[in-house]
Amino acid sequence: MVISAKKLSKTFVVNKRDGWRSHKTEVLAVDSIDLSIEQGAAVALIGPNGAGKSTTIKMLTGILHPTAGTAAVLGLVPWRDRTRLAYEIGAVFGQRSQLWYHLPPEDSFDLLSRIYNLDRKQYKQQRDMLIERFGLVPFLNTPVRKLSLGQRMRAEIAASLLHRPRLLFLDEPTIGVDVVARQELRDLIKEWNQQDGVTVLITSHDAGDIEHVAQRVLVVNHGQIVLDDKLANMRRQYLDTKVVSARFHGEHKMTELPGVKILKMGNYAMKLEVATDLISIETVVKAILDLGTIADISIEDPPLEEVIAHIYSRPAGSNGHSSTMQES
Amino acid sequence: MQSIRSTHLGTHGFVKYIALAMISARSNFAYFGEICGRQLFLAVILYIFLRLWKVTYAHCGVEQMAGLSLSQMLWYLTATEAIILSSSPISTIVDEDVRTGALAIQLIRPTPYPLYKFALYMGERYLRLIANFAVGTIICLVLAREISITAQGIFALSLALPLAITLDFLGNFLVGLGAFWLENTSGILFIYSKFLMVLGGMLIPLDLLPKPYAELTKILPFASIVYGPAKQLVHPCGEELVHVLVLQTTWILVFSLIVWQVYNLALKRIAANGG
Repeated sequence: MVISAKKLSKTFVVNKRDGWRSHKTEVLAVDSIDLSIEQGAAVALIGPNGAGKSTTIKMLTGILHPTAGTAAVLGLVPWRDRTRLAYEIGAVFGQRSQLWYHLPPEDSFDLLSRIYNLDRKQYKQQRDMLIERFGLVPFLNTPVRKLSLGQRMRAEIAASLLHRPRLLFLDEPTIGVDVVARQELRDLIKEWNQQDGVTVLITSHDAGDIEHVAQRVLVVNHGQIVLDDKLANMRRQYLDTKVVSARFHGEHKMTELPGVKILKMGNYAMKLEVATDLISIETVVKAILDLGTIADISIEDPPLEEVIAHIYSRPAGSNGHSSTMQES
Repeated sequence: MQSIRSTHLGTHGFVKYIALAMISARSNFAYFGEICGRQLFLAVILYIFLRLWKVTYAHCGVEQMAGLSLSQMLWYLTATEAIILSSSPISTIVDEDVRTGALAIQLIRPTPYPLYKFALYMGERYLRLIANFAVGTIICLVLAREISITAQGIFALSLALPLAITLDFLGNFLVGLGAFWLENTSGILFIYSKFLMVLGGMLIPLDLLPKPYAELTKILPFASIVYGPAKQLVHPCGEELVHVLVLQTTWILVFSLIVWQVYNLALKRIAANGG
């Protein structure tokens, strides 16, 4: 296992002011989570703001000391062996830069190579390969302050891979990045995971990041893992709905069916949400076919955002699927 | 994935800190306007104080004060101002790192945070010191019309200065670490900087104070940062130089120990919650 954690907990002490008086309150950020991630996996850690995602990552990278529990990352205890672990992991925090603001990325790369004590010859090979794969040539000598956010994030991720880490932590790597740059970043992360075997643990509020990069999803809420499952299973098991879209050659009129909600209705097209526990897809499709000549029809899972929103909306403690739902 | 770490760690350990200092100095060139502004401020301050001392010497009708001629006094002031005005805002940087959570980025690097900051600080501070001494020397030559420093003085300064700015770093870093416990460290920084100016002997050499006060202030760490190196520049003395270096080393050891203890305590208090 690349990462394993048992009963990992973190409590923050927060000072609250009440007029002149202040009193300390304990906030349970991470509540006794168990976690295991195998070599080469791409795992998404998702959850609403304040769920405990970043705190979990910071404990696994050794930045934070847990209040209770144990963890091993690449066989090391992160908060005890932080310096040794630093040579084996890479990390990108989307809201914080590791590049020098006034200097071009190339200078930051060179500095990082010194910080990680990299062999000069191998460092140059690795740097040149990253420059090519991440398409950094056009802005390699431009000061970071003059780069677009998308360019900067490409340079950030390349910088985190300079020392050939075995494990990559990505904390909201696409935050604030435009659609095109976001897709490029996702492709690069996926490529690195699949071709080079780097284990990836990514947190993001963007369902697209999760869909493109991760094979497995850990949903954290109220400091606990409320779901640990494959992405495909998560869709199937957490929303008993399908979205059926149809286009017709002529005009049509849909009659109401139990368990079918009309999302959009036009003269030549319709979009329906089907509750599969109330009505079978077959019945709905037959009903649509009876309406007229079909030009196109599609059956889709609901958007991932909906699945995630559904899981987030569940009250604390209703984590019946924790860790047990993962299928091989 | 195979690691590409060098196996020759002996030299690389040191090289990385040199690289950090160099990149810090280069990065600070981006603030060229600020560097020029500082030099202008230094020039104005020096001009005022040098004129004041000229008047004081003339009014008192003495050749020497605290064992220094007027020319030596002007060079002493140049050295103290150059040291004080080269100060890097390291405590503010550490304070911000703690409050914003930027400290987290540093902690996942295979370089201890205090040493990382020390290397950056040295790069920045040496750049400022060179600029300050260059401008200070020009102004002093114009006003004093005499070079009253010797090769021995420059040699003594070159030995005492690195220790002085190391000690200043430790003091400032300690103030910055206060952010783990305090809501605002600017008050402590204000007191520290004023102590450095007054008890460090920036405005007047400590020898001009009444003897008991002079003896006391000379053994304080503030004197090791400002007075000690500046006095050695204008009035080098082998015995006194050894005394200054021993005192500086002692304070560095004491402050290093305190910083190490406080830093380790602080690490357990990190609350870098949120992205």
